[in-house]
Amino acid sequence: MKIALFIPCLVNQMVPEVAIATLELLEKLGHEVVLPKGQTCCGQPMTNSGCFDEAKKTTLKLLNAFKGVECDAIVCPAASCLVAAKENFHEFDNSIEAQKVIDKLYELTEFLHDVAPIESFTRAFPHKISLQLSCHGIRMLDLASPSEEMGPKYNKMEAILERIKGIEIVYPERKDECCGFGGTFALDEGSVSGKMGKDKAYYHAATGAAYAVGFDPSCLLHLDGTIRKQKLPIETRHIAQIINAAL
Amino acid sequence: MSTTKGSQVHAHKADIFCKDETKVDWHSKALWFVREKRDRAAGSIPEWEEIRELGSQVKTHALSHLGHYLEEFEKNCLANGIQVHWARDGEEHNQIAHSILAKHKVKKLVKSKSMLTEECHMNPYLEKRGIEVIDTDLGERIIQLAEQPPSHIVLPAIHMKKEEVGELFAEKIGSEKGASDPTYLTRAARAHLREHFLTADAAMTGVNMAVASTGSIVVCTNEGNADMGVNLPKLQLHSMGIDKIVPNMDGASVLLRMLARNATGQPITTYSSFYRGPQHDGEMHVIIVDRGRTDMLKDKIIGESLKCIRCGGCLNTCPVYRRSGGHSYNYTIPGPIGIAVGAQDDDTNSIPWACTLCGSCTSVCPTKVPLDQIIFRHRRLKAESGQLPYGKSSYMPLVGKFMASETMLNCSMGVARTALRILPGSLMKPFSGAWGKYRELPAGASSSFEAWYKKNRSN
Repeated sequence: MKIALFIPCLVNQMVPEVAIATLELLEKLGHEVVLPKGQTCCGQPMTNSGCFDEAKKTTLKLLNAFKGVECDAIVCPAASCLVAAKENFHEFDNSIEAQKVIDKLYELTEFLHDVAPIESFTRAFPHKISLQLSCHGIRMLDLASPSEEMGPKYNKMEAILERIKGIEIVYPERKDECCGFGGTFALDEGSVSGKMGKDKAYYHAATGAAYAVGFDPSCLLHLDGTIRKQKLPIETRHIAQIINAAL
Repeated sequence: MSTTKGSQVHAHKADIFCKDETKVDWHSKALWFVREKRDRAAGSIPEWEEIRELGSQVKTHALSHLGHYLEEFEKNCLANGIQVHWARDGEEHNQIAHSILAKHKVKKLVKSKSMLTEECHMNPYLEKRGIEVIDTDLGERIIQLAEQPPSHIVLPAIHMKKEEVGELFAEKIGSEKGASDPTYLTRAARAHLREHFLTADAAMTGVNMAVASTGSIVVCTNEGNADMGVNLPKLQLHSMGIDKIVPNMDGASVLLRMLARNATGQPITTYSSFYRGPQHDGEMHVIIVDRGRTDMLKDKIIGESLKCIRCGGCLNTCPVYRRSGGHSYNYTIPGPIGIAVGAQDDDTNSIPWACTLCGSCTSVCPTKVPLDQIIFRHRRLKAESGQLPYGKSSYMPLVGKFMASETMLNCSMGVARTALRILPGSLMKPFSGAWGKYRELPAGASSSFEAWYKKNRSN
């Protein structure tokens, strides 16, 4: 397939290794991958603060970067940014062109599970990993069934990763409790955000896993800072990095 | 922002709560334990998700035919010999309650749990007019003696440890000093309350549901205190919000199946009583209160908060509530539902931001109130009316401009990455604010992905 990458500003600037892993794994799977120019912020920090006017310019700029790009799918390795982009594109532009872009938007895990599944992995990943189930991915993109709901249980991240040889998948206590990042929440509500991050970091470390693995780079960045602050024997990795290492 | 308001904002009160980390851990764990009990109770019913959907539909239907069902309810109440009163706001509610009590020369009123009378600040209103009000729910009695507001809608004294309750009881109701055994303390409270039940002139309760087709009200308690109160004196009062209406007994049954399961993990409350008329020679009054509810219904999203059945499930699951406590919300009702119904009255304009928008509350809610969307909506309304907290009104326009400009973003982030890479952490810390206080700073990548891509992929 022909894939356009949507690399949110935070990934582009702070964790480029996640974008590189995403690009490499998609290429290894035989896809043609392009990076449309002119990508900006999805507007989430502003809309989550209630400031829609302030979000409009950057959202529309990002949307324009994808309008007219010839591709089968637009893939993003950041669940929360993807949800915000979908909602904000819809909020500020109700044209057919905008809808065409929205219809092609996929989060990476979602894409690899629902659209173009991986046939087989070539390399083992002989490590114990603790899965970080970030909120927007599970509760807004259905990447896993939330623990509160009593319907059928599923987990797309686990379904992809469990096929890698040697991998051992575990979960932290209170497995889908929020890590406390929440965008500007991390700054506005420092004490509560810090405490939530600390609790989550300890729960991941208590599993004895080598890595806490998730699909949301912003949560992982916050967790990484907390893990290092608490000097815990675990590191964070994005799901793209694990998949890329096993292909 | 004035200093008074500054000290009332959620983040500030949460800071204070978080200073005692052992207590935060205890509070968070105690409530998470209730959430786990709820999960087991909900999971024990195969059709749980279907009942949730049904519950949501029952409430949506009742709210969209509110006038019809309220009138039907009133008509059937009157036929049952119940006197019905209508109150526009808290002040009117308190006046009505007082006039009924004054007419019967009531000196002492026993009251079972009612969040509505808390909303209306009824106790101080009646006390000022010479009527003693005794809260008879154990948790409510504890906080009444401690002169504190409730910190949870189902577990009002959850912020207090048993040792604190022991000290309070020793001082106020003469229990043994230093005693903190829960059974002992409960017995002491029981003996103390029994005296009040026997000497009360009137009883008041909240209302869990008001059944339109039968003209009856449903009151759920675990302690039987509502029934003990109502069945002793001849005068009984029941206060309800207009949102408590359900069309019929089928609707009430759907909600009853979920209420206790979602609240405390019990199959049903110990006492679920249906009152449909006064005692022999007695009087039964129902006060129906609007208090801003009709206004809330005007907003499609915010109006959905009226589907709430006050189970408290959203508080127990909320990661912010569990770590900031119920007294940090600047409103009688805390947690997600407190933000949903209280944000409009919040003069600190901070409670809609006491939330990470994780959505757990929405998934746990038995009537599918879209709490995260409602909170998100409140933020937007606050922003549109120029009521933003935490300096957002001054910095957000700059962030908007900055994020929309690739040049600005690239240049400054390039500088930031370099600084993070080459400067020692100690030098960077002072610039990192709330981030650096709780977390180490990011390592700082050597280039952006865009720059890497240009170098490695553009042919």
